[in-house]
Amino acid sequence: MKPAVPAIRSRESQSRVTRRRSLGAGAAATLAAARTLAPALFTGCSLGLPARARPIMLGLLHSQTGTLAISETSVRDAEILAIEEINAAGGVLGRPLEFRCPDPKSRSADLFPKRARHLCEEDGVAALFGCWTSTSRKAVIPVCTEFDRLLFYPVQYEGNESASHCIYGGSVPNQQILPAVDWLLSSAGGPRRRIFLVGSDYIFPRTANFVVKKHLAARGIEPVGEAYFPLGHRQFRGVVEMIGASRADAVLSTVNGDSNVALFEEFAAAGIDPEKVPVISTSIGEDELRHLAPREVAGHYAASSYFQSVATDPNRDWVGRFRREFGYDRVTSDPMEAASTLVHAWKAAVERAGSLDTAAVRQALSAGIEVPGPGGPFRIDPKTQHAVKRFRLGRIRPDRQFDIVHESAATIEPDPYPQSAFPGWKCDWTKGGIEQGPEVRIDGDV
Amino acid sequence: MDAPSLSLLPHDWFWLYDIPTHRLAILFVASFVGFYWVGCVFLRPILRQFVKYNAGANDIIGYVLSCFGVFYGLLLGLIAVTAYQNVADAGASVTREAAALSALYEDVSRYPDPYGQNLRWLLRDYTRYVIRYAWPLQRRGIIPQEGTIRVDAFHEELLDFQPGTPAEEILHAEALRQFNHFLEARRTRLFSVTSGLPASMWYVMFLGAILTLAICWLFEMRFVTQLVLGGILAAYLGLMMFLIFDMNQPFRGDVSISPEAFESIFQRMNEE
Repeated sequence: MKPAVPAIRSRESQSRVTRRRSLGAGAAATLAAARTLAPALFTGCSLGLPARARPIMLGLLHSQTGTLAISETSVRDAEILAIEEINAAGGVLGRPLEFRCPDPKSRSADLFPKRARHLCEEDGVAALFGCWTSTSRKAVIPVCTEFDRLLFYPVQYEGNESASHCIYGGSVPNQQILPAVDWLLSSAGGPRRRIFLVGSDYIFPRTANFVVKKHLAARGIEPVGEAYFPLGHRQFRGVVEMIGASRADAVLSTVNGDSNVALFEEFAAAGIDPEKVPVISTSIGEDELRHLAPREVAGHYAASSYFQSVATDPNRDWVGRFRREFGYDRVTSDPMEAASTLVHAWKAAVERAGSLDTAAVRQALSAGIEVPGPGGPFRIDPKTQHAVKRFRLGRIRPDRQFDIVHESAATIEPDPYPQSAFPGWKCDWTKGGIEQGPEVRIDGDV
Repeated sequence: MDAPSLSLLPHDWFWLYDIPTHRLAILFVASFVGFYWVGCVFLRPILRQFVKYNAGANDIIGYVLSCFGVFYGLLLGLIAVTAYQNVADAGASVTREAAALSALYEDVSRYPDPYGQNLRWLLRDYTRYVIRYAWPLQRRGIIPQEGTIRVDAFHEELLDFQPGTPAEEILHAEALRQFNHFLEARRTRLFSVTSGLPASMWYVMFLGAILTLAICWLFEMRFVTQLVLGGILAAYLGLMMFLIFDMNQPFRGDVSISPEAFESIFQRMNEE
């Protein structure tokens, strides 16, 4: 039996050698395979997740339902296009932009600030773009101030305001309404002296017409009449009769929203000839014209800084891009142009500041940021944080577009506190902010 | 298929869907084979102690493996079918939503302007949002929220229209009916974004795979043979797991439902 033992040991020994060899070979093969395959498996995956810089979040605060939706949705789309263009060009500070776009449902006083708070607090947005009515803007600014975020506001408004945390991209009266009044008073516009003021009854029309009256008074002129109606009002026969009785030779309209449909119906029904009694509207753009019958509005005017018909290559390019993205029958308007350009201006300011910090961005803006825009070069005035704008007057065409009949020779510096209306009030954010004058009481319940 | 709250695979594992499919398959197979081989080295000697001195142990183990394999195989097969059904259902809901959207667009195109124009704009906006923003979110397992706002805006505008003629009344009723179809399909799509196998199923599947491989470790055979035969079984189990994992989330991974149906509608909506 003894000789058998070595034989068994020999087999075991052989078996152990085989097992060791197998293990060694297996481990070597596994390591080699891992080394060969790992790069192929994980290249570009970075553990499965593609390499991507942390996005910068922006808040777009526009009503998408309710009475303001049709106008505000277009502004939102213009901002989205700007964001997509910036992303396509590499983003901001090497980071892509993302956005949140909640719906404040046209509820200016309560839902706008609530949504703004959520955007700042929960979504961590770097800046907010939005608002339409002055009520919504005034409600959102305190939220932006509390969270130290900038609000970029794209709509023309009444002035009499300059907040540290708001950048105003729309026109103020000295860039829109007052040049329109001056045109009416000039030989090109008539000249006309008998001006009737009609408007919706809220902050913007009341304050704007207050400024207009002071402006006219400085020229020894008094409006022949003045009337205000609630938003959504549809009975304008009475006021059209008043206009006829006043022998007005021009109407300055700050009527907003759907009321314009009924207002122009009444003008047409009363046989008011745009050649004899032109209406200059401050709140009608290409979007609003879609709701108006061309035969009722053609020949009347709109005061603005931008029209889709601006005949420049940058504008044609922008309109083309917008239509390619959002539809061949979409139109562009003044607040859309301002909104798009504000997004690009914010990008330029952040890149100059090299940071998203609000103070640094404001500092960069105050150093003078100028970006090209569809309506021409766009600059923020560091003193007032308002845009420097060009004035344009458009005559409504039957195809719901505008012929530009007058354009300011140069851009107009913003003056949110015209001295004729707000004596003593000044604004210079490069020297500490607002210098208050005597309290000014604006007529009406505002 | 369950609602999101029951669906786990935990979200911590969702990054796996970002790996390209063929690489993910290799990863699954390699992990299973690797696990089996490592077990062969470290666990097999311990487990073998239980059957070491039993004559005919391989027969018994083979019998147990066969019984176990039948039930486990059935389970895997049924789960794979369910996962496939989930993908197919989600795909069908996407097609239904796109078809309803297209029909709705045609209906509102007959409305008088500005209603018709506004409604067309809103539907185009919704379609664009779905393609550009909702789909990337779905691919990350996130239910997109802002589409609801766009649907609400459309609904509001649709209800705002007052038909003036009998023809408009018929058109309006049809548009409302089509809108309800669209809403239904849209909700189904959103539910499918996070739908998946419940956690308990994943636990059973993985535990079953481990037990299958553990039974294989008990066999008495040459070490190299064990590595090869068990490795083949482990590779097959890995492939099955990969298949179920890949189909578990209909909108995730390389092989997922695409927004192609919406893209073709959007292209047609934008044609002048």
